[in-house]
Parts: sequence; structure tokens; C-alpha cells
Amino acid sequence: MTKYIIRRLLWMIVLLFGVSFVTFIIFYLLPSANPALLRAGHAPTAALIKAIEHQLGLDKPWYVQYLDYMKALVLHFNFGYSYFYNTAVRTMIFNRLPATISLALGAAVIWLVSGIIIGTISAVRPRSRFDRFSMGAALVAISAPPYWLGLVTLFLFSTSVGRFPIFPGAGSYVPLTQNPLHWFTGLILPWLVLAASFAAIYARLLRGNLIEVMSEDYIRTARAKGVPERRVIVRHGIRSAITPLVSAAGVDIGVLLGGVILVESVFSIPGIGNLAYQSILVGDLPMIQGTVLIGAFFIVAMNLIVDIAYAFIDPRVRYS
Amino acid sequence: MRSTTERTGMRRAWRFGLTLVVGIAAVAIAGCGSSSSSSSGSVKMVKGGTATILWTAGGIDSLDPGYWYYQTDYSDIEQPTQRTLYSFTDQGTDPVPDMATALPTITDGGMTLTIHIRPNIHYSPPLQNKTVTSADIKYAMERCFLASVGNGYAEAYYSKIVGAPASPMATLPNMAGLQTPNPTTLVIKTSVPVGVLTDANALALPCTVPVPAYYAAKYDKGATSTYGQHEVFTGPYMIQGAGSGTIPSSGFSPTKNMVLVRNPSWVRSTDPLNPAYFNQIVFKGEYDPTVASRETLTGAGMISGDYAAPPTSILQQGLTSSEKSQFHILPSGGNRYISLNTTIPPLNNIDVRKAIFSVIDKNALRLTRGGPTLGTIATHYISPILQGFQQAGGVAGPGYNFDTDPNGNLALAEQYMKMAGYKTGKYTGPALLTIADNTPPASNTALAVQSELATLGFKLNFREVPHATMYSKFCLVPKSKVAICPSLGWGPDFFDAQSMIDPVFNGKNIVPVGNTNTSQANNPTLNAAMDAAEELITPTARAAAWGKIDDEVTAEAYSIPWLWDNEISFASKNVHLTNWKFNGNAPDYTTSYLTKG
Repeated sequence: MTKYIIRRLLWMIVLLFGVSFVTFIIFYLLPSANPALLRAGHAPTAALIKAIEHQLGLDKPWYVQYLDYMKALVLHFNFGYSYFYNTAVRTMIFNRLPATISLALGAAVIWLVSGIIIGTISAVRPRSRFDRFSMGAALVAISAPPYWLGLVTLFLFSTSVGRFPIFPGAGSYVPLTQNPLHWFTGLILPWLVLAASFAAIYARLLRGNLIEVMSEDYIRTARAKGVPERRVIVRHGIRSAITPLVSAAGVDIGVLLGGVILVESVFSIPGIGNLAYQSILVGDLPMIQGTVLIGAFFIVAMNLIVDIAYAFIDPRVRYS
Repeated sequence: MRSTTERTGMRRAWRFGLTLVVGIAAVAIAGCGSSSSSSSGSVKMVKGGTATILWTAGGIDSLDPGYWYYQTDYSDIEQPTQRTLYSFTDQGTDPVPDMATALPTITDGGMTLTIHIRPNIHYSPPLQNKTVTSADIKYAMERCFLASVGNGYAEAYYSKIVGAPASPMATLPNMAGLQTPNPTTLVIKTSVPVGVLTDANALALPCTVPVPAYYAAKYDKGATSTYGQHEVFTGPYMIQGAGSGTIPSSGFSPTKNMVLVRNPSWVRSTDPLNPAYFNQIVFKGEYDPTVASRETLTGAGMISGDYAAPPTSILQQGLTSSEKSQFHILPSGGNRYISLNTTIPPLNNIDVRKAIFSVIDKNALRLTRGGPTLGTIATHYISPILQGFQQAGGVAGPGYNFDTDPNGNLALAEQYMKMAGYKTGKYTGPALLTIADNTPPASNTALAVQSELATLGFKLNFREVPHATMYSKFCLVPKSKVAICPSLGWGPDFFDAQSMIDPVFNGKNIVPVGNTNTSQANNPTLNAAMDAAEELITPTARAAAWGKIDDEVTAEAYSIPWLWDNEISFASKNVHLTNWKFNGNAPDYTTSYLTKG
């Protein structure tokens, strides 16, 4: 197992180098915007642009620029400098990570718990009223775009502009370290909005899997041996049916940790997604590259965690 | 000179309000400190309190005065926290002394300007014991030529100052034409008369915000200056926590937040322009425009932020409800136009350009942005609040036959196409590369242009790209060979029309990158007229000259001006909102105040 983890970690590093190279090629060799232009004010002369290109090293050969970038990244964990925000990319990203992590992990807890509970009940009581209602509601939740759902919940339930002012609205996020209570209350609506569609998908996924698993021979055997039904469902049924969910959750959480653009935007949460979105709009290449690398890191890391978790959840899976 | 962006127009100024009389009285009795109130009529002014502004488009670009050039920079940080040599009152269109004691004394045929600055103006902490000197303004203007500062206009307006470098430099230039005979006197010597210096317009730009060399020089070294992160202030407000010498993230974090608190070194009696009623101004970032607009209208103490207009749905609902009085709809000074590249056939043929001019339905284009509320249909380039507007024909414009019908005239367009050699009156050549902004409403406008040109037979190789890409990779880069740029706009730097015309149509401004002359107009007669107009030093002569040039460039149909933009600002019910005309009528946070009753 240890060897497997080390091997995967090494592959993760190789993969991140690959991602960094591809993003460098896309953003530096085929740039959508000239970084020097961003730095040069709003009606720059050609001379000013040339001077800035020289100062920033943008007139060096591409491989020299890439090596410089990677050297700074590996040796100093320096993601470069944002010419638009006039600040270090690392500072910007790390200032925002806590918000995105809070949002993504909090929502993940909600959608996993609710998805598993609803999916399980629906599976063990198929075609019941609960099953019909919850699966219908799940369809609605899957169909509702997060941006629209966010606006609706704000205009219904936020204390600032809501018809029924219950929860803090947009811009109410505060860091956990600053005020845990406000952190929690400020994230309730964003968590619910972000979790809604995922919970619905996971509930439907688990329901389908569990119905199939519950008709397997080993479940019948367990029942014949007199194992209590609750234990049959939890220990034998869910444990087997949940593995696809774990796999999906790994990818989903990884993607969300790289930025939750729409929900962060609607609720004015200063996270990575919002930063990436604003950076794309203005063509801030170093910042885009930084957010892409961070996103890639989370996706790769979460996949590794999922693969390791598999071994514990499913005894049939062993890495050697 | 700035290109108009979708997030805001450009710079502006004006005051408007619920009770203009109260506003004027308020300026006279201005004060600061803790909350207090005075009344006039049914509305009571509340001095003090907190104003909250929600950013939806990233807020300010930079903390460095040498970099500021966008409307948001001017409204959110320049005006509240810094003072320039000259500035503008909220409704004024002529520069008035701010840091200076009077308008420049002009001698030597307009080539020597003598400016005296107010004594005993102190910087904010940590330099609270230091006073502003003329040497600080000299350094500020010189550092605008540093590549590490990235200023966008110094070369355009200050390059005729004796000793000014021909291009930005890695090290600080010593400009012999900026002289400081004593700590309160600045003498500016130019090689030729420069109208925008003698009328003080270009001395109202943020390059004249004082920067003390003994403090800032160490931050100006390196590839990018970091002075902004250690900035000292001269205006009524400063960034919270900046007194330590380094601005903390609680005071400013890009796109996220900015908190302005009172500058303890600022003295109201030395500042004739900024009553600065609020005790604190808080900017919160990364809001969705719909949410931000709704919160501003229904909340308390809030003013609209870095967006030129609210989302259409909010605006329509607001203007047809009791919220109507919370909106201020004022001309921004900027324009929008469709640029035609005169180096690319068939656009090198003036009759083809006139045909395109004729067929464009300006009313339809305006509807794509939200209709008449969003602006006035343009008939030439100089916008209504600028000097030279009337001389260029006012709203009616010069009256060329290809611009007589705001709904477009297909029959006339076909006549021009026939005159250009297209026997059927329809274009029959290859598709023309057209690069448009991919963000609404500009993208909707571009689609309308595409369909209008199709009626004349034009096939377009139509591409929509992000706003920044449109400028930096295509429309401002001649070698990209873009034929039509339908999503362009331009805003003035001040009320002098030079900044609306010269950068866009003078052949000397055609450069390989950052080319603001997108149509690549290069008419020697017009170029000479513009060069001569730059050197005129009397306002009436300048207005007449630039008005005439405006008519002449319109006659050449280099591009099609179709809208003079409006700025739509708004505030909560308990805010007396004023606007700064110089800054494109964006909100003026130093003359707005809270109300009661």
C-alpha cells in the first residue's frame, strides 16, 4: 500500500508538471491577451509595451520563460505576479482558498449525508410516497441551474433582499477564524444551493445501485443467516452500492475545490472560482495559470484519496 | 484617452440630487467627524456614517496613482484619498485649483507654466510630519515615465515637457522642464505650447498626485513598482491600516474589499473641493450585478459601484416604480462606435464606408443595450458634455446625407455601393474579419451589426472573443488585419475634445501594438490640423478647432459613432447621491451624504 501511495504521489507530480506545461503553452505561446498590455495602463504606446515586456522578461525565448516560471514555482512556491491586480498570484490564491474550501467541503457534507439518506430510504422503499416525492424533487434540483437557484433563495430568504428574511445573504461570508458563528450562518444558503443538485444526483445514483445490490445473492444469504435487516442494508448493501459515489465524490469535490464560480459569484464569496472568472475576463494569464494549477492539484489529490479510500470501503480492492 | 469598457464608461463628474439646494448649502457648511445632522426642507443631512459600495467587476485596478486611469480608479480611490494639482468640482467642466493655489501662470508664449502649491499639506501616516512639496509633484510626474509604473497617458500629454523621455524608461528620467525653485513652486517648461497643460486639464490627472521621492524611490525599483502597497495619502480619506507603512489585506484586497477611513492629516480648510461627509467608505467585492443592484436599492447607506448601468431587468423595474428617484441618468461623456479598417479592401473605399454608415440602424443598436435610457444617438464623436460639441453640430451633428436616418437607409446605402463599383448595390467580395466582444450587451450589439451588414450583402468572418482579447490581440493590433470592430467605445480624459479625437484618428498614433487608431485613419491634412489644434492654448479656439476636425473625420466615415453613453448610478433611499461630471458622472463619494426623514 505504501509503495502504491508513493508511486501515485510521484505520478501526481509528473501530472502537475504536464498541466503546468500545457497551461503555459496555451497562455504564453498562444496568449489570448498580452500580459504587458495589462500592465501598461489603458492607452499604452508601443514603446511602453516593449519596455514592460522587457522588464517582465516576456521577450525571452518561451523555454527560458517556462524554466524561470517552474524554477520560481518549485523552489519558492512562487506562482508569478498578476499584472492586472498588481500583486503576487500566490497571495491572491491563498487568501481565497479558505473560502472555497469552506464552501466546497461544507456543501459536500450536506450532499453526501442527504444524498445517502434519501437514496437509501428510496431504495429500501421503492415506489413508496417518499420515494416518488424525493425522486421527483431530485429531478427538480438537478434541473435548477445553481445561478438561478442562488438568486431565488437570496430573493426569498436572505436578510438583505429576501421576502422572508431568515439567512444572511450575499457578501456575508467571514473567515472561520474571524467569527465561527458568522462563518456558519453566512454559508448556509450557499451550501444548500451548491449541495442541492449534487444531493439529488447522488440520491438517484445510490438508489439505483442499492436496489440492484439488494437483489444480489450475498444479501439473500445474509438475510437467510438471520442478520438483522438494518445491518444487511448498512454493512452489506450500502457498503457495496456506495463505491461509485465515492469515486464521483472525489472528482466532484476536487473540481469544486478548484473554484465554484457561479455560487461564489451569486453569494459574493471571495473564493478561487470568482478569482478565476474575473481573471479570465481580463486575460490575467499568470492568475489564470495559478488557478488552473491549483484546480488540477485538487482534482489529482482527491482522486488519489478516493483510490486509497476504495481499499478500505471495498475489501475486494487491494493495491499491491 | 481611454477605451470605453463594459464595466464602466470612463471618467466623469457631476452632481445631481434629490435636493440640489441642500447639496450646495451642504458644501458650504461641510465638516467631518462623528455623525451629526442638519436639515433643509423635509430632508435632513446626516454628516458622518458609513457608505457601502458593492463591486461587481473587480473594483480598482491598482493602488498606484501613476497607474490609475479607469473610471473606478478615479471615483473609488483617487478622488477620496488623493489630491491632484488641479481638479474639477462636481458639476464643473473647467479645472480648478486643488493642490495648487491658482491656475497656472502662463508666460513665454504658452511654453512656461508657473504653479504655486498650497503650503502645509501633510501626508497621511506614517509621513504625517512631512509636508507636500513641489519636488514631490516633480517626482510623481517623472515616475509616470517609468516602465515599472505602467502609466498610460504620460507620453500623450507630458512628452513635450523639456527633458521628457521619448519612451518609458527603466530608470527615473530627470526632466529639466520640471523645475522646483522653492518647495511651493513648480515651473513646467515645454518645447512647444501644449494646450492641455496651459488649460490645466492634463494637470488634473493622477500623475500630479504628490509622491515623495525620499519615501517611494525604493518601491519604484524592480520590474513593477510596489509603491501602491505603501502609499501615502493627501485626500480626506486613507486606506484603513495604511498608517503602518504597508497596506494590510483588511484595508485592501484586490477585487475583495477596500475600507477608507478618515485621513488624520487632512484639513478641510485646505481642501476647497471635498466636503467628505462620510466617516467611512466601505467597498465590498465580487458581487453579482443583480444582487448588488437589488441590495443597493433596498438597503441603507449604499451607492452603486463599478458598473455603468444596472442589469436591464433591475433598471426597468426601478424606473417604473417608487425607486425611480433613486436613479441618476446622466451623460457619461463617452461614445460607442463601429470601427472600419481603412487599409482593408473594400473598406479603403470611402463610398463603401459611407454605404455601411447609411445602412446601420443606430436605434436598433441602442435597443440592444437597453434603449434610450442608455444614451443619445450619436451623430459625431465629441459627446454632449465636452467642449467642441456644439461646434461640431450638437445633437443634430454635421448633417451628412449618409447619417440622416437613425433607423438606417438601405436604399441610400445601395446607391453608395453602386458608386463604389458594386453594380447591384450589394457587396460581392470575400468575407470580412469581424471581431466582437463576447459579453452582453456588446455581443448583442455586434450581432445586430452583423445582420444589418448582411442586408448590403456583406459576409462576415464573425468572431466573438473576451473583452480584453478583443483589444489586446485583435482590434488594437494592426497586423491582425481585423476589418470591422463593432464593439468599441472611447471616453474622454477631460472636457477638452482632443482626447476624444486625436488618439483615434491621428495617423501618428498608428502603432504595432496598443493601436488606438483602429481604423488606421491617416489623412495628412487632418493629421496636420490635429497637430496644430494640440498647440492652441485658448479654450474657445480649441473648441472650434476640435469641433471642425470632428466634422471632418465624420465625413470620412472612418468609423460609425452610434451612441453617446449615459451613466446610470443609483443609491439607497437614505443617500443624497451626487455625481462627478469629470469622471463620466460616476458617483461622487466625497460630496454624497446620508439623509434622514
